[in-house]
Amino acid sequence: MSKRIRRDKSSNRKSWVLAVVFASIFCLVFLAGKGHFEAYLSNQAVSLVLSPFQQAVSWVGSQVNYVTSNIWEIATEHQQNKMLRNEVEQLRAQNLQASEYAAENERLRALLGYKQSATQFDLMAARVIGRESATWSSMIVINRGTVDGIQENMAVVTEKGLVGHVTEAGVNSSKVQLIMDPRSSVGTLVQRPQSRVTGIVEGDMGNPTMPRMVNIPKNADVVEGDVIVTSGFGGVYPKGIIVGTVSSLGNDPGGLLKYGVIEPSVNFQKLEDVAVIVKSREIVPAPLVSPAQTPGTESGSAENSRTAGGTP
Amino acid sequence: MRRFGLWASFAAGLYVLQTSILPLTAYHGISPNLMLLLTVSFSFLRGKRLGVLMGFCVGLLQDLATGTFFGVDVFSCMAIGYVCGKFSDQVFKDQFFLPLTVSVFATVAHYFILASFMFLLGYRFPFITHLQNVFLPMLCYQFVCAYPVHKAACWMDQYVKGKQ
Repeated sequence: MSKRIRRDKSSNRKSWVLAVVFASIFCLVFLAGKGHFEAYLSNQAVSLVLSPFQQAVSWVGSQVNYVTSNIWEIATEHQQNKMLRNEVEQLRAQNLQASEYAAENERLRALLGYKQSATQFDLMAARVIGRESATWSSMIVINRGTVDGIQENMAVVTEKGLVGHVTEAGVNSSKVQLIMDPRSSVGTLVQRPQSRVTGIVEGDMGNPTMPRMVNIPKNADVVEGDVIVTSGFGGVYPKGIIVGTVSSLGNDPGGLLKYGVIEPSVNFQKLEDVAVIVKSREIVPAPLVSPAQTPGTESGSAENSRTAGGTP
Repeated sequence: MRRFGLWASFAAGLYVLQTSILPLTAYHGISPNLMLLLTVSFSFLRGKRLGVLMGFCVGLLQDLATGTFFGVDVFSCMAIGYVCGKFSDQVFKDQFFLPLTVSVFATVAHYFILASFMFLLGYRFPFITHLQNVFLPMLCYQFVCAYPVHKAACWMDQYVKGKQ
């Protein structure tokens, strides 16, 4: 009898503990959601432990993906190339390693080309080693951290356009919030000189692959196909990075504004290499150099300039 | 302690698989949530007390490692671990249809718990579109992965018991 009473008490206590734990986590979610709570050290520790494994498995995964995609390609071409199949397979097997290096080389060359052309940015190349499968947010993990000079709120790009920004910089890895994440908001404007309408690009929960440009006045000059670039407002994203193109327009339920569905310029499904903008600066315009004049016309042009300047 | 270490390594291995290899098979950015399936299988194998603990651990791992909304996965996985653990002594654990059926219910519950949190946090989204674009692919993935994960969890359970 006494044993049963003890068991009941113990069971009751456990139920209470469980209820308190559930209630605490429930409150914690709201504190974290509103930005009042952040488990920074724990995040760092988990990232530090997991990132080497993620990196290794990610590499294996990319190899497997490459091999499987090759197998699929061969299978589809089987009918057309029946006679040459054996030879092709042999050549593919021989060239598999070389092709992998070539593909990587091409990606890195494109990134390097961007790095050299974008002189206003100091870029740090990084490899994607993890992706989040959560339904409600879009994050990736890259293999660069604070030891490489990465800090929070640095913009992340590829040669094709904007990827997102660093939300947590660990020692040897960092988490990047993609522009498709519903918590992300990027100050943008329409690149077309006649328009230059500003808006905010934010993730859309209804369509996780296509963010939206919101806060566009209803009569604003935005059309389908317009290229959207970062405006530089807010300080996180430097000005002039391509975000995507407007694929369709819709009216906001409020009635005063409209929104544009953006097709990102970056293919987030095939994101392997990225670059972090560790420093950005204003581009100093090159000094204007007068074009070489045709011999014999110098005096005429000098006279014209005098006339224009009001000299008698 | 040794048992805990073995299960922790197993969960970490599945998590690394989930974040590194499975995204390669993602459809519209959606890939399976093996941590949820592990919680379900473990709860059926070990009861509600350890099921809640596993839900807490894997939920925390997900929340900390991915930088998503902190606490939502912990809450959801714990609740699902508790409910599945409640029924642990009323089902045949080796049945083929058990993980398949429960994976559907667990995914639905997980989705609606997370959707409720999003709603309460002030995020608005078109529900029907979101169901079509996100929930249905996720449900298919979970359905396909449920049995392999359950078998792996059963194997791990036997292995851990054999080590004792």
